[in-house]
Amino acid sequence: MTPENPLLVDQLAAEYVLGTLRGPARRRFERWRISSPLVAQRCLFWEEHLIPLARELRPIQPPPHLWQSIRRRLNLTPPRSRTRPAYALAIAASVLMVVILGVVVYWSTTRPGTLSEVATISAPAGAAAWRVEIYAERGQMIVHAGQLPPHPANRDFELWALPTGGSPVSLGVLPVGGTARRELSEAQRQALSHATQIAVTVEPTGGSPTGQPTSTPIFVVPLRAVS
Amino acid sequence: MPDSTPSTADVEERLRGLLDRCAAGDSTALQPLYELAAPLLFGCLTRILRRRALAEEALQDVFVSIWQRAAQFSAVRGKPMAWMVSIARYRAIDLLRHERTAPILVAELPEQATHEGSAEELPGWLPGSALLERCLQLLTEHQRRCLELAFVGGSSHEDISRLTGNPLGTVKSWIRRGLRSLRQCLES
Repeated sequence: MTPENPLLVDQLAAEYVLGTLRGPARRRFERWRISSPLVAQRCLFWEEHLIPLARELRPIQPPPHLWQSIRRRLNLTPPRSRTRPAYALAIAASVLMVVILGVVVYWSTTRPGTLSEVATISAPAGAAAWRVEIYAERGQMIVHAGQLPPHPANRDFELWALPTGGSPVSLGVLPVGGTARRELSEAQRQALSHATQIAVTVEPTGGSPTGQPTSTPIFVVPLRAVS
Repeated sequence: MPDSTPSTADVEERLRGLLDRCAAGDSTALQPLYELAAPLLFGCLTRILRRRALAEEALQDVFVSIWQRAAQFSAVRGKPMAWMVSIARYRAIDLLRHERTAPILVAELPEQATHEGSAEELPGWLPGSALLERCLQLLTEHQRRCLELAFVGGSSHEDISRLTGNPLGTVKSWIRRGLRSLRQCLES
């Protein structure tokens, strides 16, 4: 391999991280990565930039015995456990039951039906600014605020549905903290049902006075259907 | 309404803290790290390896590696989930090499086959990236699909060629061009 031809290094690093570099070439590249800071740096670039592709992965709970096997392999000593009297277990079990019941009651009374669409609005650096959840069935939207972009004085962030072939429809001013739950109007529902993207603009306090965006969106993100 | 779903930033911060403790040799940090990260890593391994027993073996290897290499991670200060998912993906690809039988190929990957719990209950595991989304929009549908099959499913050039019914050379060139366009966009 030509040492440190930047374009070649980058191409190989990308295919290595993607996983399509295989066989002896993959093993050679692994050794090269260890010995060359440039190669290591390009691998890190691709690992951190391609990771959002893994979003479609679904977590699966591993079987409980796996953790024990890992601990054995690493010779980690288990935390000291005292023998618990039976009544302590009984108390623990009943507390757990109350907690589970509480969660079930809480969930069934507050959960707004089945999530139909979701969008995560994030800055290029990665942290989510808002997570938007649409519950079409019940006509509700829930917005969780995360790490917000710098907030200009006397301005609000406004959320828009971008229906295909139509004008943007305001979904209201975005919360700057916590979680907001909103009822969707008929017009908003209609717009969302024809939208594959949503956008955020910076508007005068209280939202755009014209009903249409008055500035270029700072974010345009896909609205994903949750199947 | 209290929000029980941790944000991506919270999860990343916790993972980073736990990895730093592992780097310092604090073995009590490994179990909470496992509890937090193992389900996603196991999902990733199962998706690529398609065999539960093999994925279970691989998950053990992955956590042994995480424990042994935590100090390296700590020094670089990268993104914890990206780092751990990379370790898992590379381990899975490595194991595919040793597998005599080819991975099971299906035209449309079974999105929901291993889906335990609904999407709305997922914590904010993975950093979203408006930048990557924007850049992916610049690729052709073929290029994008190839990259996803390779990254998420661990498919090789040959697998993708068989999966999509396109000639091997075409698949290789879609991937090469797709990655080149992505790099130009990501770095612009």
